[in-house]
This record gives sequence, C-alpha cells and structure tokens, in this order.
Amino acid sequence: MKLSETKKDTHGKVMGIEGDAHFVSRVTAIGMTEGVPFQTVRNNKRMPVLVYLRETLIALNRSDAERIEVESE
Amino acid sequence: MKTRIALLGQPNSGKSTVYNALTGSRQHVGNWPGKTVEKNEGHYTYDGVKYTVTDLPGSYGLTGNSDEEVITADYIKSGNADLVCILADASQLERSMYMTAEFAPLQKPAVLLLNMMDVAKAQQKEIDYELLSQRLGIPVLPFTAAESKGYGELKKLLAQELAQPHIISSAPDVKEKHYDDSMADSVKDDSGAKYEWIGKMLDGVTSSAQKEYRLSAFDRIATAPFWGKLLSIGIILLAFLVAMVICIPFMSIGSMLPSLLGKPIADTLGAWNVHPWLVSIFSLIIPNVLYFSLSMAAFVLGVNIVFGFLEEIGFLARAAYQFDGVLSKLGLQGKAICPMLMGFGCTIGGTCGTRVMDNWGQRMLAMAVVWAVPCGSIWSIIPVISGMFFTPAETLLVSLGILVYMIIMMWLVSKVFGRFLSPKESRTGMIMELPPYHKAHWGHILKESFLKAFDIFKRALSTVTIVSLLFWVFSFSTTGNVQDSLLYQVGTFIEPVTRFFGMGWQTFMGFLSSAFAKEAVLGVLNAIFVGQNSLVEATFHAGNTATDGAVLSQMMSQTVSKPEALAFMAACTFNIPCVMALTTTYRESHSFKWTARVALFYIGMALLLSCAVYHISALFM
Repeated sequence: MKLSETKKDTHGKVMGIEGDAHFVSRVTAIGMTEGVPFQTVRNNKRMPVLVYLRETLIALNRSDAERIEVESE
Repeated sequence: MKTRIALLGQPNSGKSTVYNALTGSRQHVGNWPGKTVEKNEGHYTYDGVKYTVTDLPGSYGLTGNSDEEVITADYIKSGNADLVCILADASQLERSMYMTAEFAPLQKPAVLLLNMMDVAKAQQKEIDYELLSQRLGIPVLPFTAAESKGYGELKKLLAQELAQPHIISSAPDVKEKHYDDSMADSVKDDSGAKYEWIGKMLDGVTSSAQKEYRLSAFDRIATAPFWGKLLSIGIILLAFLVAMVICIPFMSIGSMLPSLLGKPIADTLGAWNVHPWLVSIFSLIIPNVLYFSLSMAAFVLGVNIVFGFLEEIGFLARAAYQFDGVLSKLGLQGKAICPMLMGFGCTIGGTCGTRVMDNWGQRMLAMAVVWAVPCGSIWSIIPVISGMFFTPAETLLVSLGILVYMIIMMWLVSKVFGRFLSPKESRTGMIMELPPYHKAHWGHILKESFLKAFDIFKRALSTVTIVSLLFWVFSFSTTGNVQDSLLYQVGTFIEPVTRFFGMGWQTFMGFLSSAFAKEAVLGVLNAIFVGQNSLVEATFHAGNTATDGAVLSQMMSQTVSKPEALAFMAACTFNIPCVMALTTTYRESHSFKWTARVALFYIGMALLLSCAVYHISALFM
C-alpha cells in the first residue's frame, strides 16, 4: 500500500520509493530509505502526512507520499 | 597559517546559531557567484589570530543537485576551507549524521559538533562521544549552541585542529560520487549504504530503539487540519502584538524627534544666518531620518525577538506544515504565512519576518508578496478617505474590495516573479522535519535581535537620508504655497496623463506621497486642499499636521469625483509600501536590482488598477 493510504498509528516498513534521482535523494537524505521502520502519526485529507522515523517527526506532502510504497505490520 | 573554517549542517542543526555566536557583528553577506544563494562569511579572533568562518548553505545532503548542495560540495572539494566543522543534532543522531556520511568520502579535515546536547539529555539519551570520535578518527565535541559557555572550548578545538588536522578515517561504501536524474537506483543503494555506515559508527554509541511516538496534547491541536490553522493564525497575530509592544517605546521616542529637534535646529541655524533652504533641510530631514531609522530598527528588533522565539521553540515548523498546501500555489513555502500575516500590521515587520524562509529566492518572493498586504496605516486612512465620499456600508464594500484585490495581486506577483525567484523545477513538495519543542534560550535570542536591529539602524540612516532629500526637493517651496513646489509643477504638467489613470494632480500627489509614508497621505491632502500646512511639513510630520476631517472632506468632495476617489484609494493601497519598508526590503534582500524590479511592478500595477477602477466605476456613478 501507499504511505498516503496508511491510517493514523500504523506501524510499518518503507518498501519502495518511486521517482527520479532528485526526489529519491531528497527523501532519503531526511531518513526515508527502503527498509526503514516508520509510524504514521497523522494522515488527514489535503494535508501533508506526518510520519515518525529514525527518531524524527517528518511532514511529507501528499503527492510525494503517494510515491512511497509501504507494508504495515 | 590555516585560518579558514566552514560550517556544514542540515537545517535545524543549529548551524546559524553557531555562526552568529562565533562571528557576532563581524559578518558579511553576499551572493555565491552566479547564484541566488546567500553567502555568509564572518570572522573572529582567538589568541591573537583572526579566523574566517563561512556558513555553508543549509541542505540535507551534499550529493543532490539543488543549488545549495552543488555550491557546498564544490566549496569543500576545491579546498577553500582548511577545516570543516560538521554539525549533527544529538537528539536525532542517526538521521542527522547523514551529512557526515555524505562528507566522509570527500576526505577533508573536519571536526564533528554534537549540538543540542541539552535536548538529548532531556530525552535521557546518552551518547558515548569518545567512542564515536575513535571510530570516525576526528574530534567529536558535545555542544549546546544556544548556550554561550561552550564557545571557549570550541574555539580552542578549532585552533588545534587547524594546526593538526584530522580526516574521517572510514567512509560509506558508495558506488557513485555524483548522480544525474536517471540514477534513482544508485541513489537508493548509496543512501542505504550511508545509513548502514552510520549504524556501524553509532553501534554502542547511543541507543536508537524505535519507540511509539505520541503527539503531545498541544501538538494534537497544532497539527489538526482546522483548529491547527486557527491556532497558528492566533499565535502569529499574538506574536505581532508582542512585537508591537516591544517596539512602541522606541517608536514613540522616535516620533517625538521631529517636533523636539526640528525647532531647536531651525532656531540655531537661523541664528547663524544659514540659508533658509538649508535650515529647512536640516531641521526637517535630520529628525525625520532619525525617526524613520529608529522605527525601522525597533520593528526589526520586535519581529526578530518574537520570530526568534517561535522558531527556536519549534512552533514555526508547525505553522509551515499547516499552510504549505495553500502557499505552494503561490510558489512559496508554508513558512511564508508568518510574514504575510505580519504584513497586515506593518510591511516592515512582514519584510523582516521573511528571515524564516530557507533560501534567498523564497525570501525575495515572500517579500514581494507581502508588499501586497495592506498594512495597518492603510487600514487607518482608507476608512477616513472613503467616509468623505461614501456611506459606511459602501466603505465596508471598499474594504472588502481591497481584500479581494489583495489576493489577486499576490497571485499576479507570484506569477510574474515566481518563475525567476522560485523556478518550477526547484519547487518541491514539503519534506521537512517537525523538530521537538525546545526551551528558548533568551540570552541568545536577545543578543541576535539587538545585533540585527543595530545593523539595520546604521544602514537605514544613509538610505532614508537619500530618499528623504529627493522628496524634500520635490515638495519644497520657497513660499510655503503648494503651487511653488516642484511636485506641483510636475503634477500639473503631467495631469493629462494622470487623468487617464483616474487621478487629478491633487490626488496624484497624494498617491506619490503614499510611497513615502502611508500615514502622510491625509496630511498631504490637507496641505493641498485646505492649505494650512506646507506640503513639505505635511510629508515630514512637522508642525501641526492634525487634519480636520470635516473641512478636508468638504474641500475634497468639491474637486474630486467619486470614481476618482475610488481610483485614488486603490492606487494608494496597492502602491509600493512606504520608504521604510522599501529600505528594509533592500537591506534584507541585499539586491537593489530585485527591489527596484518589484517596486516598478507595483507602481505600474497601481496606476493600471487606478485606471481600471476609475473608468469602470465612472460608468456606474
């Protein structure tokens, strides 16, 4: 499933990142790499998704969150 | 002897705090050659040796292709720095070590600063920095940038390392040194390798067990879709009020200067038989320049204190998260909401509030957009002028119209300037961290704010003097009659043209004076229509410039038609902001070219708007 479809308090793992090198470099530099465990903290319509990973609370805008493939536990 | 130090770190790592604390007021701001990225360089002296510090642009990595990353990587590779001081956030060590992982393959001398040790301690995180230092092969210094006590040790360490440098002894196993757009898979693999390396370096250094994250009660509201926005707007407006409270004492002292100093100066010079023109220049302009510069500095002080506070405790990131969706349509980051709301109070406040933006292009664009927000002075003169011609209900409609056009103007500005200042390809969706709430370090906030305010005061003196002289030349008349001023001569000469734009020479002069100070408009109209004060006194707040609304209203409505009044109000509201805001924009952007471009656009658009309003409303009135 996509990160943008996860519900609040979902725990899971990032499985895939889809996009060009520029996009991949931006999301991985902030810590979102394939295989990293995460927790969805907030996911409201028309708002960036809030995820917690590597001890950091990160806001990721919706259209980018649609390009992150995740697996929930 | 090696003395060049560069600071490297991710956003929120406290890099600029370290830079400001090391260099104080000995700073120089410029641009990187050929780029719209700010270059900050400063220096400090330690043990009789002068050291140069370069604050490298903030970015999350070194291998991406944003301007910031390319500049930083090139600067380090070319050996411009003798020592790189890397900053990492001790409270989020694993993630913030990414910059170190990006830097390691470059094989340059470095030290690592583990900043925010106070936050890490509060979270009960223990860090074995000696073990980390052993593994990396470079010194690792635990640090709290916002406290002044650690800087002696930092300067000592930097001096030592410049003399006997160390290079990171291990590096992540990466395939590529640079990536182009087609290499997404290599980026993925290499990023993975970098975090693997970080994991190895941090093994046993700190515990990073992924725990359940719970939003604090405050954050549950601050991040909620509706209430969060309301809370953000409320807090920013409150911050503006506090900023006003801080600057009011300075401003009221400043506002007394024209009447306090004007007469003594005039009397003294008069007694020395100085030419009356010079007397007028000195007695009107000097106190006024002091007043303006002091007001500007006071605003900068107030806004820097409250924004410094909101930024340091971590609230600004929440506001940015709330408004990113709306503002991205204007090509702006969510953080721009703060200067925009501040703009309703004062454009100077809004302009220097853009300090929260991440890069120069965003900053300049935010300033250009903030200019469209009608400031408090406009909201105080529009009802008065409108009230002379229209009923209260119609005045309300005028105000509504102003708000609607404000949004149109913001959109226009972002369309026209956005593609240069925030190019489409560099516009990226929000990816940012919401830092944990910190305690504010007041000493550091106050010191930085006072330095900034004093700097603006010094610089404003010269700019405001030049502009004031220009206005003086145009509005001065030997007899005190409006008819003898250059402004009148020019105004009546070009009246056929200004008529086309909807304004007669009188209202056009009011329009011109609105570029000097919005609150001067009423005084200038009074000088023109009632003629009690000279134009120059009205413009420079001298003498008794109190306006009798009833008399002015009677005189004005005889000469000015309703469509002209509407056109005039529109033109004044969306004209360039006052001289002080203009100067602040120039000072904050360091770009005369861009300030002038935006100013010309505003003047042109104000005239076009006035023209349209006049000719359309003339059809109905």
